[in-house]
Amino acid sequence: VSDRVRMERTFQASAQEVFDAWTSVEVLKRWWHAEHEWETPHAEVDLRLGGAIRLIMRNPEDGAEYGGRGEFVTIEAPRRLVFTWGWDYEDESKRQLIEVELIEHGDSTTVVLTHSGLPATETDEYVDGWQKSLDNLEAALGS
Amino acid sequence: MANDAFKALAHPIRRDIVQRLADGSATVGEATRNLGVSKPTLSRHLKVLEEAGVVVRMIDGRTHRLSLDMEPLEEAETWLARQRAHWARVLDVVEEYLQEQREGRP
Repeated sequence: VSDRVRMERTFQASAQEVFDAWTSVEVLKRWWHAEHEWETPHAEVDLRLGGAIRLIMRNPEDGAEYGGRGEFVTIEAPRRLVFTWGWDYEDESKRQLIEVELIEHGDSTTVVLTHSGLPATETDEYVDGWQKSLDNLEAALGS
Repeated sequence: MANDAFKALAHPIRRDIVQRLADGSATVGEATRNLGVSKPTLSRHLKVLEEAGVVVRMIDGRTHRLSLDMEPLEEAETWLARQRAHWARVLDVVEEYLQEQREGRP
C-alpha cells in the first residue's frame, strides 16, 4: 500500500512561469484549493531553505477553513521545488513531502508532482484534490 | 436521482457517515470523527452526500447539523428491488425451460 501520489500535468507556460505560480503568493491564492469553487484567502511564502510556505483553503459554502504549512527543503528555480507539508490541526509527526519537478519542452512545461507521507487510505482523495487544484492552476496560467 | 444515491454510497468513508446518521442527526464533528482522513477530504465527501440529497445540513448559528434524507436512498432501493424482480422473472423462465427439457415436452 502506497503512501504517495504522483501525477503529471503539462501547462502551456514556461518553467519559470509555472515555478512562479508555485511560489508567488498572489498566484497561489488563485489556484491552490482542492475544489474548483473553493478559495484561498491567505498564502505566505518565504522562499529560502527552511523558509515557510503556508496557505488557508476556504469552502465558501460553509465558511470552513483548512490551513496547512510546510518548510522549503529544495529550491532550484525553475526546475525543482520540494517542501514539507501538513495540516494545521495535525502534529509534526504527520509531516508530508511535496516534490514539484518542472520539465520545459518548447513552449510548454510538464509538472511532475509527488506528494508522499499520506495516509494510504486517502491517496485517491489527494489525487482528486490535486487534479482540481491543477485545473485551477491551468486556468490561472491561461489568463 | 437513484444514480446520485449510488454515487453517494460508492465510497467507504461516505457509507460510514451515512451509517452514523442512520441513528439520527449529528453535528459535522460527530458525523466525521475518527474516520482517518483529513478535514478537507471529509468536507469534500460531505459535499458529494449533500449534492446527492442523501445528507441535509441544518445551520443553527455556528453549529452545522447533518441528517439523512431517506428519499434518494429509497429511490435507490426501489431500483434495486426492480432489478431483483426482473432477474427473478428471468430465472423463473429459465427454470421452466429446463423443467420442460427434463420432462421431454415440446
